[in-house]
Amino acid sequence: MADYREMWRSLGMDLETHDLLCEALPEAFGGVYLTQENRPQGMDFYDFVVSEIHGVRPAELIEHRKSGGKVFGTFCVYVPDEIIFAAGGIAAGLCGGSQFWVPGGEKVLPANTCPLIKASVGARLDKTCPFFLAADMFVGETTCDGKKKAWEILANEVPIHVINIPQMKRDADIDFFKGEIMNFIKVVEDFTGNKITPEALGESIKLINDKRKALQRVYSSRKSAPVPISGKDALLVTQIAFYDDPARCAQMANKLCDELEERIQQKQGVFPENAPRIMVTGTPMAIPNWKLHHIIESAGAAVVVEESCTGTRYFENLVDEQGTTIEEQVKALAERYMKTNCACFTPNPGRIDDIVRLVEEYKVDGVIDSTLQFCNLYSTESYLVKKELVDRGIPVLHIETDYSDSDYGQLQTRVEAFLEMLQK
Amino acid sequence: MSENKVYILFPNHTEGLRLSSTLRQRGIKYAISPTPRSLSVCCGISLIVAEEELDIIEGIISDTGVLIEKIAKVPIKKDWQYRGS
Repeated sequence: MADYREMWRSLGMDLETHDLLCEALPEAFGGVYLTQENRPQGMDFYDFVVSEIHGVRPAELIEHRKSGGKVFGTFCVYVPDEIIFAAGGIAAGLCGGSQFWVPGGEKVLPANTCPLIKASVGARLDKTCPFFLAADMFVGETTCDGKKKAWEILANEVPIHVINIPQMKRDADIDFFKGEIMNFIKVVEDFTGNKITPEALGESIKLINDKRKALQRVYSSRKSAPVPISGKDALLVTQIAFYDDPARCAQMANKLCDELEERIQQKQGVFPENAPRIMVTGTPMAIPNWKLHHIIESAGAAVVVEESCTGTRYFENLVDEQGTTIEEQVKALAERYMKTNCACFTPNPGRIDDIVRLVEEYKVDGVIDSTLQFCNLYSTESYLVKKELVDRGIPVLHIETDYSDSDYGQLQTRVEAFLEMLQK
Repeated sequence: MSENKVYILFPNHTEGLRLSSTLRQRGIKYAISPTPRSLSVCCGISLIVAEEELDIIEGIISDTGVLIEKIAKVPIKKDWQYRGS
């Protein structure tokens, strides 16, 4: 076996505690993923990435640092990765999706903080995640109060830059966000020592757009019946996209799509054609949070789309590639990122419109609106989501959950009852 | 039905991917899996293969010169339950 222990040690990791995570992952991945039948061959790559999750990519990041490059750890789909790559840096998504890291976060955060924030902070403070330790700078944002305060704690560990995300979408807010991107360019240039030229930014915009197009293609295949790929597998593709090399991400996703499109031609699916088609909407599911998808798909339904940050919000809308000056490119970036509809905005009718549109596009039979515990924004917005869906006669189930398995049985019962209702 | 899961372990991921590619070309089933902790102290890739096909696979390993670390059998857990990892 490749021995990564020296690398982990050099990052200052707590190997003893990390061993416990290494012990849990094979069983969880085997039980959730490798028990599926008829998976696309193209999932081999993603199985490989999970198998080497704390090895291959962290080693690439360390190599990048050795050659003078900088690694930026990010936590949100509003961070313009384009700027980081244009300066020769690497952006790696760091959101924590494991219960394993939650107690570490609870040592410094109130218990009523969402598990995603607790896990992210815990992963860094407990020194059990190489990605958190390989980052030279963290890039935070202001998409919720819990995160805003968490940045102040993480700032004791690593330099952190916080991007101020507007909370409304008026013209003035988009202008303000343009200013935030210009400011971010300056921060990244100073930190990397590299000037961002219009040429470099143009290439980087194209690089990230290509990744988005590839992910859009994966999702597009899920509009078919029977669906050629499970929701669990599609979720894994998106989760990995957050920290993989963007060019490789696009290449592997496109390769997978060639196979999925062939499957569609042959009417080959992973669920029967009449299996209930479910949309999952709500808060993100960072790797290795596969709980809800596993419950839904084990009950015989197919998750065909995720309206979330680990779903359509991540890759819908492209940045206009026509700009030739930094000002034009920044304007295009601001306009693209401000099209993303997060519950941190008020009002946020765009998200409801997205859900309704996706229900139609993906021929969804029922929507499961899932929020992480203590996420006030999404939990509150669920009232409006439910109201709109009920008015339109679209079945909806709202659940609130965390990363633990303590509510697994209860969720199973609720999801099964919901699916039974759909089939009547 | 086999009672065991058969894992093939490798000195590095390149060898694991080499074997998976050959098995794919020959139409032999496998799954790329994280290596169980009980088999190795280092995280990383292993291949799960069917016990019934082990003889053929060992032949392929020998013919292609793929480097492996070991082949190990682990009893299949029949009562697996989801755990928040």
